[in-house]
Amino acid sequence: MSFPEPHVNPDAAAPGVDMSRRSFLRTSAVLASGLAAIAASLSPLRELDDYTSLDRFMQKYYKELTPEEMEKVLQRIAADVERQYGIRPHVRDLKPMNGVEFVYALNLTRCIGCRKCVHACVQENNQSRTPELQYIRVLRMPNGSLDIEKAEHNYAPESVPEKGHFYMPVQCQQCRNPPCVKVCPVHATWQETDGITVIDYDWCIGCRYCEAACPYWARRFNFTKPSIPKERLNPNMAYLGNRPRRQGVMEKCHFCIQRTRAGRYPACLEVCPAGARKFGNVLDPNSEVSYILRTKRVFIQLKEELGTAPRFFYYFDV
Amino acid sequence: MDERPPPARPQNHSSIAWVLRTLVVVFGGLAGAFLLNPWGRTAPLQPIPLVDPSFLDTATVRRSYANLVQAKEDLSDFDCYACHEKNKPPVLRFDAKQNLIIPSEHSDIVMGHGEHGRNNNCFNCHNEANLEQLQTRDGRVVKFQDSPQLCGSCHGPTFEDWEAGAHGRISGYWDRALGPYQRQQCVNCHNPHSPRFPSRKPAPGPHLLRPPISVPTAAADAH
Amino acid sequence: MNRAVRDYLVFLQRCGRIAFVGDWRYYAWMGALTVLCLIGLNAYAKQLVHGLITTGMSDQVSWGVYIANFTFLVGVAAAAVMMVIPVYIYDNAELHDLVIFGELLAVAAILMCLAFVTVDLGRPDRFWHLIPGIGQLNFPASMLSWDVIVLNGYLLLNVHICGYLLYCRYQDKKPSKWFYIPFVFVAIGWAVSIHTVTAFLYVGLGGRPFWNSSIVGPRFLASAFTAGPAMIILALQIIRHITAYHITDKALLTLRGIVQVSMLINVFLLVNEVFKEFYSGNLHVASSKYLYLGLDGYHALVPWIWTAIVFNLVAMFLLVLPLSRSLKWLNLTCVLCITGIWIEKGMGLVIPGFIPTPLGQIVEYRPSLNETLICVGIWAFGLLAYTIFLRMSVPILQGRLSKANEARPLPAAAGGPAAASARP
Repeated sequence: MSFPEPHVNPDAAAPGVDMSRRSFLRTSAVLASGLAAIAASLSPLRELDDYTSLDRFMQKYYKELTPEEMEKVLQRIAADVERQYGIRPHVRDLKPMNGVEFVYALNLTRCIGCRKCVHACVQENNQSRTPELQYIRVLRMPNGSLDIEKAEHNYAPESVPEKGHFYMPVQCQQCRNPPCVKVCPVHATWQETDGITVIDYDWCIGCRYCEAACPYWARRFNFTKPSIPKERLNPNMAYLGNRPRRQGVMEKCHFCIQRTRAGRYPACLEVCPAGARKFGNVLDPNSEVSYILRTKRVFIQLKEELGTAPRFFYYFDV
Repeated sequence: MDERPPPARPQNHSSIAWVLRTLVVVFGGLAGAFLLNPWGRTAPLQPIPLVDPSFLDTATVRRSYANLVQAKEDLSDFDCYACHEKNKPPVLRFDAKQNLIIPSEHSDIVMGHGEHGRNNNCFNCHNEANLEQLQTRDGRVVKFQDSPQLCGSCHGPTFEDWEAGAHGRISGYWDRALGPYQRQQCVNCHNPHSPRFPSRKPAPGPHLLRPPISVPTAAADAH
Repeated sequence: MNRAVRDYLVFLQRCGRIAFVGDWRYYAWMGALTVLCLIGLNAYAKQLVHGLITTGMSDQVSWGVYIANFTFLVGVAAAAVMMVIPVYIYDNAELHDLVIFGELLAVAAILMCLAFVTVDLGRPDRFWHLIPGIGQLNFPASMLSWDVIVLNGYLLLNVHICGYLLYCRYQDKKPSKWFYIPFVFVAIGWAVSIHTVTAFLYVGLGGRPFWNSSIVGPRFLASAFTAGPAMIILALQIIRHITAYHITDKALLTLRGIVQVSMLINVFLLVNEVFKEFYSGNLHVASSKYLYLGLDGYHALVPWIWTAIVFNLVAMFLLVLPLSRSLKWLNLTCVLCITGIWIEKGMGLVIPGFIPTPLGQIVEYRPSLNETLICVGIWAFGLLAYTIFLRMSVPILQGRLSKANEARPLPAAAGGPAAASARP
C-alpha cells in the first residue's frame, strides 16, 4: 500500500509535497475536526472559577517566606476571604512560643459522647459543611475493649452516655514521630517546635499520601470546593490554621493554632460540657496536663506499638 | 536492504478515504457531544443541614450560687428564713423504708446523692443551725459560694484533681500570663442533690461523602 | 556539528511524519484511540473544575483506580528489563532487536504512570513543588520522592537507549558500545528499583497492617515479571501480524519461560500471604478478611479477588503444561495472567488497604463513570504512544526508513505477506 494520493513523485526532495487537492482537503478536514474535538473536550474548563493567579502559583514555601512576603500573603488571603464571604478577617502568622510543648489529655471516664467538640471544631476552624469535614471522630466503644475494630462511628441514641459503652474522640495525635511528615513528598506538612504538626495549605499538592500514612485517620482532603456558610465564618484566622482552604488540599486538627498560640484553650476543650478534655504545656510543671501525667497511673496511647509517640493521652479516672 | 518500496497491495484508497471521512464525522460529533455534555455531570451534593447552635454553646450544665451572686441576679430562692424560723432547725421526716420525705415546698428536689439512700440526711450538708450555710461532716461551716470545700470533704481525690485543673471545666487562657481563666465549681455540673452528670441528646453523627455503594447483608452489628 | 544536528532533526521529522502515514486499519485504530483519549481529556477537565469528588474516592478510601493502574503499569515498565537480561547477560541474539520493542513498551508504560499520578493529584498546578532545587522534594525520607526520581530516570534511560539504537540503525552505523551497554546494565538494576520503590510506598506505612508486610515487595516484582512479559508476548505477535516483522516463535517461548517462573513464584507468595494472615488468628487481619471473605456484610471485592486467583491458578497450570507452547493457548494464558494480576494489584492490594479505615470504619469504593473514562483515556493514550513508537521503529529496524532513502517517500505500513523485504 502506498500513499492515498495517486500521483507521487518518488524523486521529490520532500516526500508528500505533491498531494492531490482531494487528499489535502481530506487531511485538513481530519486535522480541523480533530482540533475542534480537542478544544471541545476542554470546554468544561469554562466553569473553572478557582483560578490560580500568578503570585499564588509562584508562592514560596512557608519556611522560605520573608516577613514582608508573609505580610503580603496574609493581605492577599484576607482580601480573598473578604471577596468570597463579605467579611474582612484578621489573618495572622503565629509563631510557636518558646518553652512550650502542647499535650492533650482526654479523660475517658468523663466523655459522654455528645459530639459537641466535633461541631465546635468545625465552627472554629471554618471547615466545609457540604461536603462535611470533621477533624474529630468520636468512637463508641464497648466497655472492656480498646479494639478499634469494635468501634461504632454512627451511634445516634436518644441520649448519651449509653450503658455498657465508653466514648473516645480521636483527632490528630500530633505524634512526636509523625508518619505523615515522613511521607509528604514536598514537605507540605511538618512538625513545629511546640509539637503541632502543621500543613502549608498553599504548598500541598494533594497526593493524599499523608492520609494513607496516618494510623489514626486524622487527615481530611478537600475533594471539592469547601462550602462555609457566610454567617458562620470565624474571622479570627491563622495562616497555618483555620483560614479557608481550597479544593484539592489536605487539612487536619492543628490544636486550634490560632487560639493556642495566643495562649487560649482549643475550641473542643471550651465546649466540652463534661470537662473531659485537658490541654496545656507539658513543659510547665504547674499545668493541668503535667499534673495528670504525673498522677494518673494508666495511659492509653492509641496504637502505641507503631512508634508514633502521640501527644494525646487517654486515661480513666475511676 | 531493499531500496524500492515494497510492492503495494491492490490500492485501497477508498478504504482509507472512507475511514478518514468517518473520522471527520466522528470528531465533529464528539466535539458536539462535549459541548452538550450529556454524561459525567457531577451530581450536586445533598446539602448537609447546619448543626443546631445549641451544640456550639459553651455554657455549663447548671449555674451555681456564686454565678448568681456575681451576675447580681435574684437570690430569693436562697432566702431560707423567708419561710423557716430562725433558731428552729427543720424536722426531717422519713417513711417506713427510711426514705426521706421531701416536703412539698421543696418538691423540685430529687434526692439521689448516694446509692440506696445512703446520703439522705439533709443536714449531712446543710447546716441546721444556720440554713444559709453549709457544713461538712466534721462540723466546719462552708459558705454557699465555697461549696467545693464541702464536696471535697468527702470526695478527696476528685477535689484534689479539681484544684489542679484535672477534673471539671476550665476555660479561657491555658497560659495564665496572657489572660484570665475560669474554673467551674462542682455545682456548675453536678446537682448537689442528684449529682450524676445528666445525659443529653448527642449532636448529629458524621456524614459520608457519597451514598454507600452497598448495604451490608449481614445483620448490622458494631460496623 | 551543525550537520549532525540537522541530520538528527531530519530524522526526527521523518519519524514524526511517518506516524501520520498508514493504511486504513492504522487510521481506524489511531482514530478510535484518539476518540477515547479525548473522552478521557474531557472527563479530566470536569475533574479539574469540580475536584476529586467526581471520582469514587473518599477520606476513607483515598486512593483508587488511578493509583491501582499506576502500580500495575510501573510493574509493566519494570518488566521490560526481563527481555534485556537474556540478551545482554545471557547473550541471546534471538531477542536482540526485540529488546527495543520491550523498552518502548516501558516508555509507554512510564508515560501512562506519570499520567495516572498527575490525574490523581488534588492540585496538579503545584507539580513544580516536586522538582528538586526549585520545589521542596522530600528526599530521601518520602518514598514518593524516590518514585519521582526513579521513574523519570527510568524514562530517560529507556528513551536514550532506544533512541540511540534506533538512530544508529537509521544511519546504518554500528552503535558504539559505550553509549548504550553501560546504560543497559544500569537499566536492569534501575528497573528492579522502580518497582521496589513503588512497593515501598505501601510497605513503609506502619498504620496499615495489610501493606506493612515484607512480602509486598517480592510479590510486586513476581507479578510484574509475569504480567509484563505476557504483555510483550501479545504485543510481539501483533507486531508480527501487522508489520510482517520477523519474530521467531523461539523468542516468544523464551518469554513464556520468564512468565512461567514468575507466575509460579507469584502463586507461591500468595499462598504465603494467605497462610500468614489466617492461620494464627490474631487481629489486624480485617483487611484480608474483607478482601477474601467479606467483613460485616460488606463483600464488594470478594468476587473480584477470587476471579483473579482462579485466573492466576489456571494460567499457572497452563504455563507449566506443554500445552501453552502452542500460541493459541499461550495467548489465552497471557490474557489470564494480565487480567488476574491487574485485579490482584489494583483491587487486591490498593483498595483493601483502606478497608477498614485505621479507626475501623468500612466504607467501600467503586470508581465513578468520570474516573473510569479518565482511566480509559490514559490507557488509550498509552496504546497510542506505543503504536506511534512501533510505527517509527519497525521501519527503521527493517531498514525501510533509513538515512539512505531520505530522498524517497516515507514507507507505508507494510502489511500482509505481500511485503517482501522484512528482514530486520
